[in-house]
Amino acid sequence: MAEVVLRDVCKRYGSYNAVDNVNLTIRDKEFVVLVGPSGCGKSTTLRMIAGLEDISDGTITIGDQTVNDLPPRERDIAMVFQNYALYQHMTVYDNLAFGLRNRKVPEDKIKAEIDRAVDILGLRDLLKRKPRELSGGQQQRVALGRCIVRHAKVFLFDEPLSNLDAKLRAHMRLELKRLHRRVETTAIYVTHDQVEAMTLGDRVVVMNNSRIEQVGTPWEIYAHPRTRFVASFIGSPAMNFLDGRVRSNGSGFHVETPGGTFHVSDANATGLAGHDGRDVTVGLRPEHIRLSETKAENALHGRIELTEQLGAEQLVEVVAEESRIMVSRVEAERDLKPGTPVYLTVEPGQLRYFDRETEQRLA
Amino acid sequence: MPTVAADRQPASRGAIPATRRRSRLIGERLNFQIGLILPSVLVLLLFQVVPIFIGTDASFRRWTLYDPDKTWVGLEHYRYVLSDTNFLFTVLPNTFLLMVGSVGLSLALGMAVALLLHRGFAAQRLVQTVVLLPLMIGPVIASTMMRWTFNDQFGVVNAFLGWLGLGQPAWLADRWYAFGVIVFTDVWIWTPWFGLLLLAGLKSLPKEPFEAAALDAAGRWRTFTHITVPMLRPVIGVCVVIRAIDCFRTFDQVWLLTGGGPARSTEVFSIYVYMEAFQNLNFARGSAAAVIGTLIIMVAGLALYALINRFMDVSR
Amino acid sequence: MSLASTAQSSPRRTRLFDFLQPGARAAFTAIAVTAVVVLFLAPIIILVVTSLRPGWGVYYIYRGTEFTLANYVEVFQRSVVVEAFINSFLLSTVATILSLGVTVTSGYMLSRFKGWLPKTWFTSIYVFRTVPYISWVLPLYIVNESLGLYDTFFGILAAHVAVHVCFFSWIMKGFFDGIDPSMEYAAMIDGCTRWGAFRRVALPAAGPAIAALGILSWLWTWNEFLFALILTGNRTPLLTVTMAQFVTELGTEWNLMSAMAVMAMIPAVIITLFAQKYVIQGLRI
Repeated sequence: MAEVVLRDVCKRYGSYNAVDNVNLTIRDKEFVVLVGPSGCGKSTTLRMIAGLEDISDGTITIGDQTVNDLPPRERDIAMVFQNYALYQHMTVYDNLAFGLRNRKVPEDKIKAEIDRAVDILGLRDLLKRKPRELSGGQQQRVALGRCIVRHAKVFLFDEPLSNLDAKLRAHMRLELKRLHRRVETTAIYVTHDQVEAMTLGDRVVVMNNSRIEQVGTPWEIYAHPRTRFVASFIGSPAMNFLDGRVRSNGSGFHVETPGGTFHVSDANATGLAGHDGRDVTVGLRPEHIRLSETKAENALHGRIELTEQLGAEQLVEVVAEESRIMVSRVEAERDLKPGTPVYLTVEPGQLRYFDRETEQRLA
Repeated sequence: MPTVAADRQPASRGAIPATRRRSRLIGERLNFQIGLILPSVLVLLLFQVVPIFIGTDASFRRWTLYDPDKTWVGLEHYRYVLSDTNFLFTVLPNTFLLMVGSVGLSLALGMAVALLLHRGFAAQRLVQTVVLLPLMIGPVIASTMMRWTFNDQFGVVNAFLGWLGLGQPAWLADRWYAFGVIVFTDVWIWTPWFGLLLLAGLKSLPKEPFEAAALDAAGRWRTFTHITVPMLRPVIGVCVVIRAIDCFRTFDQVWLLTGGGPARSTEVFSIYVYMEAFQNLNFARGSAAAVIGTLIIMVAGLALYALINRFMDVSR
Repeated sequence: MSLASTAQSSPRRTRLFDFLQPGARAAFTAIAVTAVVVLFLAPIIILVVTSLRPGWGVYYIYRGTEFTLANYVEVFQRSVVVEAFINSFLLSTVATILSLGVTVTSGYMLSRFKGWLPKTWFTSIYVFRTVPYISWVLPLYIVNESLGLYDTFFGILAAHVAVHVCFFSWIMKGFFDGIDPSMEYAAMIDGCTRWGAFRRVALPAAGPAIAALGILSWLWTWNEFLFALILTGNRTPLLTVTMAQFVTELGTEWNLMSAMAVMAMIPAVIITLFAQKYVIQGLRI
């Protein structure tokens, strides 16, 4: 069991920084998810922790040992790969035993470990099969088993669910979570899927352009995104953004946008103080917008462009003064025709404000 | 409670000298790479590079197999070879003619065979086995049997021509007939190679473009020229380049069918080098010819590659 | 009404056309298949028939019904022929094992690493593959002569391993390119060294492809002529050269030469019949 610390970690390919000055502490037994669009450096970061990539700069420690100069086999880690990377010419049993045999563990102890893992994962009947005779989900389980038997200090997951179909993916997500509760090992998980990140992570690390954008619990990331990127990346459908300008009116602030004016809540007002007259970006989550066909105070006025019926809810796209705004959680039974004029209102406390230039959150 | 989160401010740069030194993992990786290629590099160096150097050195000296006195003579042998009318007007044209003829014909025939096998019919596997045989039995046996088949008195070909009431040429006694037999033999050996590689290419093509062409009511020939060939271009290009370069060094077929005759009229590059070195026993002159040939095929190979790349989009 | 009839007539015409087509197609296929089989099989059959004809009946093999195995007996009474078969067999086997062993790591390296070293090595391979054999075997003759290796087993063996270095490295690279490297990463995390990951995971995965190349390599060495002609003499007779000597020495003894050629052809026929799948896989470029 171990804490993993990344200090000023960089990965350079020539003049290109694939990972730029990453600082991160992963606590003992914590499940941390690295999430971001492809090419953001999350996989490279994971591979540096695993020892599959050199570290150009900075240090990585696992437990109390700096591992920069250690080859993967000496780092005491286990890893699950996107395509499972099972040894095709070995049976499931030999796949599970491989790592232990390499460490000269006695055969009877190996058997005991495999028994335990097989019970956890329900692989008992498959031990004599070869990987190509297994389904995707079964292969995935064997790959997990390979980690469990090892009792490694850290588990690394490199997009382990992305080769599964949607239904199986949801199922394995739950199993992974249960598994982590049971084996209690520090785990670092890389994915580009924000749903996986939110559901699996004790904490989520959002990466973009080789850098860490924000680290926090799933709720912190969702409710208090630190940058416009984080706000746009987390949440589905994605957050709407409107250009606006801050205006002070003595007692408080409001923000003017082409489609309408928003009142700034007291909690948000502190963050906007001193920005009077400045350009900001207003963020509205689709699920926080209320849509009404009657005129309302402090509302954006627009017309319905499209509706998407999902059964449980409707998604409605509204065009308000050149901006397209997505509204979710509209009651499925409401009859909304394209072209209908509508008014959109949001609780002031649920609006998020970002600096137009730095894209950092103001309030 | 430790709450160290992402720390975006650059850390003090004072610690860098300790962390920036080259990781021992990088050194280990380089050693591993060197270890992996070392056996191959050594074999290549000892048995290919060193001989090439010795041969090149010898080409500038007086060096016959019975009297290797090794006096430096500069470019004398090169001057000889490059002014040898036999080399210039028989050997080089023959070499390139064989290259063009053999590659062109085996490509065309191989394509036909591939299309035929791709159709699917009863006994297809049997036919594929028959097609594979020439490639497997190799040039020596192939040339031997062709020499017998084209024998002017007792060969089956002439017997067949006689039965048809046609003339019975002395196949291997006439320059162009002999050259034809050489090309025929080479095509016979290499058509299967083209056929099987093109067949593999055909099998790997996606079905959708053909279905789309069928919906667009394209005829067989149009489908072939507008869909099949363009999609096979990379395979065709690579096959042609490889085969053309290999064809330049053809030795066995010519040596066994005609020995370069009649009267040195069917000699190709490799035969010329062999004759100079082992019949005329002039190792240096043979070496000079070898160097010239190597340079020619390297330039021709590069040009061919560029040409094919340009017209066939091999890179795509 | 008229609309319906035109709509019907046009498919009917197509159907008539279609009806003719399959027959024509089948006939065309049959003719083409026959042509291909005759073209590729006839010379082999002529050779086999010749080898079975008595010496006096060889000149008109298409006449007469006299068949005999005497040619085979006579050929194998010559010790040089037996020796040639044994030598060629040993040479093919040893050269194949060595060639594969030497080049498999080289191909692996080319497939798995990036950087100046693989790039340089790949370029070298590419360049040396274009060099005509005669251009380095000719001086290799001088080298072997001066080292006392001329007309020895080792002398010809070295040439056969050397000739495969470039081509096999290239082919092996292709084999390993087709194997996902993450298996080796998993092995390294599971406690293997880089070498261990190669030997215990990548190598078994490439096994079938390497075996296919091995079969071809064996045949190529078995059939090789130029190296044997230049680098060996009477002390180390090899199959192809011995066979070629029948032509020049005995001139007209086609029946004996055919018998030897048929014997020499046997491995190729066996491999074609029973290992066709592997051979075709190994031929990939």
